[in-house]
Amino acid sequence: MSTTEVLLQQLITGLSNGMIIALIALGYTMVYGIIELINFAHGDLFMLGGFLALTIVGMLGLDATTGNATTFVAVGGLVAISAIFCGSLNWTIDRLAYKPLRRAPKLAPLVSAIGVSFVLMNIGLFWGGLPMDVFSDGVAAAAPKDFPALASNKNLLGEASDIRFTVKELMVLVITVPLMIGLTMYVKYTRTGKAMRAVAQNPIAAQLMGIDVNRVIGTTFIIGGALGGAASVIYSLYNNTIHFQMGYRAGMDAFTAAVLGGIGSLPGAMLGGLLIGLVRAMSDQYIEARWTNAVVFTILILILIFRPSGLLGARLREKV
Amino acid sequence: MSRWAQSRASWLKPDFVFLAVALVIPVLDLILPGFLQIGSQMRQIFLFAILGLGLNIVTGFTGLLHLGVAAFMAIGVYAFAILSSEIYPFRFGFWGALALTPVVGALAGLLLGAPTLRLRGDYLAIVTLGFGEIVQDVLRNVETVTKGTQGINPLPYPNVFGYEFVTETYQPWYFLFLGIVVLVVALNRNIENSRLGRAFISVREDELAATCMGINTVKIKLVAFALGAALCSLAGGLWASYLGSTGEPGNYDFQVSILAVCIVIVGGMGNISGVLLGALVMIGIDSLVLVQLTRYLQQQGLSSTANVMSMPNNWKYMIFGLALVLMMRFKPEGLLPSRRVKAELHHDEPPKPADRLCPNCGYPTGTSTVCTECGATVAASS
Amino acid sequence: MKAAISIGLRTVGWFCLGSAVSLLGGCGNDSPANAREASPAPAANPKIIKIVSSLPRTGSANAQTTTLVNGIKMAIDEVGGKVGEFTIVYEDWDDASPQRGNWDPAVETANANKAVSDPDVMAYIGTYNSGAAKMSMPILNRANLVMVSPANTAVELTKPGLGEAHEPMAYRPSGKVNYVRVVPADDIQGSVAADWAKELGVKRAFVLHDREVYGKGIAEIFRRRAKEAGVEIVGFEGIDAKAPNYRSLVTKIKEQNPELVYFGGTTQSNAGQVAKDLVSGGLNVKFMVPDGCFENAFIDGAGAANVNERAFITFGGVPPEKLTGKGAEFYENYKSTYGSEPEGYAVYGYEAAKVALAGITKAGKKDREAIRQAIVSIKDFDGALGKWSFDENGDTTLKTMSGNTVKNGKFAFVKVLGQ
Repeated sequence: MSTTEVLLQQLITGLSNGMIIALIALGYTMVYGIIELINFAHGDLFMLGGFLALTIVGMLGLDATTGNATTFVAVGGLVAISAIFCGSLNWTIDRLAYKPLRRAPKLAPLVSAIGVSFVLMNIGLFWGGLPMDVFSDGVAAAAPKDFPALASNKNLLGEASDIRFTVKELMVLVITVPLMIGLTMYVKYTRTGKAMRAVAQNPIAAQLMGIDVNRVIGTTFIIGGALGGAASVIYSLYNNTIHFQMGYRAGMDAFTAAVLGGIGSLPGAMLGGLLIGLVRAMSDQYIEARWTNAVVFTILILILIFRPSGLLGARLREKV
Repeated sequence: MSRWAQSRASWLKPDFVFLAVALVIPVLDLILPGFLQIGSQMRQIFLFAILGLGLNIVTGFTGLLHLGVAAFMAIGVYAFAILSSEIYPFRFGFWGALALTPVVGALAGLLLGAPTLRLRGDYLAIVTLGFGEIVQDVLRNVETVTKGTQGINPLPYPNVFGYEFVTETYQPWYFLFLGIVVLVVALNRNIENSRLGRAFISVREDELAATCMGINTVKIKLVAFALGAALCSLAGGLWASYLGSTGEPGNYDFQVSILAVCIVIVGGMGNISGVLLGALVMIGIDSLVLVQLTRYLQQQGLSSTANVMSMPNNWKYMIFGLALVLMMRFKPEGLLPSRRVKAELHHDEPPKPADRLCPNCGYPTGTSTVCTECGATVAASS
Repeated sequence: MKAAISIGLRTVGWFCLGSAVSLLGGCGNDSPANAREASPAPAANPKIIKIVSSLPRTGSANAQTTTLVNGIKMAIDEVGGKVGEFTIVYEDWDDASPQRGNWDPAVETANANKAVSDPDVMAYIGTYNSGAAKMSMPILNRANLVMVSPANTAVELTKPGLGEAHEPMAYRPSGKVNYVRVVPADDIQGSVAADWAKELGVKRAFVLHDREVYGKGIAEIFRRRAKEAGVEIVGFEGIDAKAPNYRSLVTKIKEQNPELVYFGGTTQSNAGQVAKDLVSGGLNVKFMVPDGCFENAFIDGAGAANVNERAFITFGGVPPEKLTGKGAEFYENYKSTYGSEPEGYAVYGYEAAKVALAGITKAGKKDREAIRQAIVSIKDFDGALGKWSFDENGDTTLKTMSGNTVKNGKFAFVKVLGQ
């Protein structure tokens, strides 16, 4: 491979990983934008989406040999089911764990979110112990689970090409981009979207204007969770492995992306996700893989020190 | 009774209860059957109590959420190892290395704190979290200094006036660790009741007001950060000696940091006795109850590694998670609350007589007619 | 000694109740002996000898360690749970924790401490991970408690000159050897792996490792030997074992155009994902891994399609079904007892337990030092692995290695290596 080809390939890889990160980051940034809560449980919610998807795949007996048409429909179905599941779960969690704490000091819901994250992670551990074929009959619950390669490694640029743009990368693109455009339109043009922005700006003023703030917050949790659910299916199909602790790393990357882009800003989260994906790929290529994680977190800290509002975020004042 | 004696006596009460319990446990071990002997596991509780007390200065007193205490623990572990191991030129021995470990920790705390403490609450939490991740990777990758995942091994055991500690008998360790916990508690009590401690609390309660009263909040936060880091490093140093090794860098990860947060939150943020109780409850569940229950059930053939849900120790995070959620919902001030924090968290409820504040120093006086804090006379309850 | 500790504790406990603390400290110092006489429950039964094992029983190594534990149980059952006048009690301890999914240093240390302070424990079978062994070796050594490892392969645990200057003596504070292993070490395995790579016609190899004791150690030995054998090493990198994928790393590897990728690591440190991403990244080269991946969990985790005919696994010994003599008997007995195939390490568990039992028989008394001596001096042991001895470092004289590949989602024996 020539140097240019390597760079191009790393761009493709970085952007593909980045899109998945961005999709998760949206869930963080939406919730933070509206109630200023770092939703620690979001990564683990995402993880459960992956486990649900694998369970369904196992029940339907799908694998790499399944026909194209069936797979296509199945992937669409998985994304939808996982999104609905994670959206409603996120809404329920908000009702049970965060809503009662709206008026409490900020630390309370954050700690509650950490607690929820633990509970979800433990559910993931138990889920992996189900006596199903896809979970190796549940004998090693904590082990990583193989997710069948429903999206293949076929190179769309021809097998002779050194640069690879496979069905997997296409799948990421085809699912992620419409979701992001859809979300942007929704927030920009619908009534609920406007209400969301209003609540994010000033919840009290929004309430005075007749907006049902709690309903808007609920919707935000549903949408954020649903995006996480969709991301989990894409992640599983792209990496072909799920693990009950994958939520932590994915969540950290996504959260870093949200902060990098400017937490609370939707385009910021998308941009941040892509950038984190690219940084990871470039660090693997041009620095060393063992330093990549440290590089990402160093960037996070530097951003916070020198530009706490992120790349696209509005300058935030401490609310008194 | 002098004012001094009166105030000291009242604030030491719960601490003395813990001390008494701690002193009884090794005696009970002589009588109780094997599976109820908990003395040797108590060392972990003592270590986490120190870690919790370090975090309590930062999070409990000063109100800064710190999600990276494991990093300072790791720094303590490696500082202790490098200063005491035979393979490095320093060779300070157990006591020398242990004395220097908090200094190294405090320096690391200053290094991280200086540029970041201007940040708002949530952002600071994320910085500490990121720092925790970076420290792990640096320790793992800078192998010429840290030996990477090889670990620095073995490390000296404590040595008290020529008496070499051994692993077979836990009692010397027990009393050494207990003694250090007592010292740390005393230090914390003194900080709490000092000008510095009141400055910490004023920063937690209202930064703006604190600034107006002439407190340099950044400096105060930095001091809290450094003190917290020093205590966490001390816990790390003791941990290294207890393991006889550094273990590997990955062991000082987010889970450890969160465990410390749980200890402080569940016990009672800002309350020293609460933190001690938190360590007892959380680490007790983690390394005593669940472990023993798992072993017992396995011996009875009731649980097996092939069935993940049958093993009590696999329920650990479910229990911790639910504990955090339920605590925040129903008792956010913790099991053994600091009265100030409790008053703040229930500010929308009408103040009970117990919440009356001393007109002189603002400390809650309860039903007493004399302030336990400053000794001023308070009007009799109506 | 008693006086010294009470003085010491008084200085620590000066803050309050100084005298009470030192009083308790004094009696605490010699309490284990008192405890045994005073209370009936934990009393040592002179006719009971405990053998314990400390292995990762949680996480993806569980399937492997389950067969290993079965092997230990078989060995003890074969002698009817009795050696001479002693009843053998076996306890299966876990040194892993679910949140790590792997061995946990705090748990391993606690296990070692528990073993040395239980007067009935006369042999400690473990550990599975070399890193874990470093935690427990010095603790057990001080107590003269013999440790028989069925699976540790890191060289610095026993062999002078191959690790840090202070190794392995640092793990033997008493100066005596108490640690033996029935499995050949990595200096042999890493070298035969490199030779095998050469034999497979590889001219350029890229070496990855998981930055852990075992993985990095064996990767370095592979690199050294491969260079000597004339295989060009085009890269040497540590991976992040928790990364979601290694796609960009694969591109970096691809740029170097290797014919083989060697990964020093285990199933638990993400070998499966590396195998997957080599395929996803379009790098259709040979993928060689050490015995840490010789378990079905590796194939499950990687997905059979990604490793079939591509993965090459070296293993210290031969696969169970290729064992001969007593080993073949073991294999048949295992299958009939447990109704399933043993994994690669089951026979080492069996052999380790046999060694422990032989030591107890030879010593003829319940005495840690006597049993330790009996075990480290074992020569010409006629076991399931063949006829072998322990050398002066506690290493087995066996050097048989096997090369395996994966066919149709199952490990397939290729050849014996290093002979």
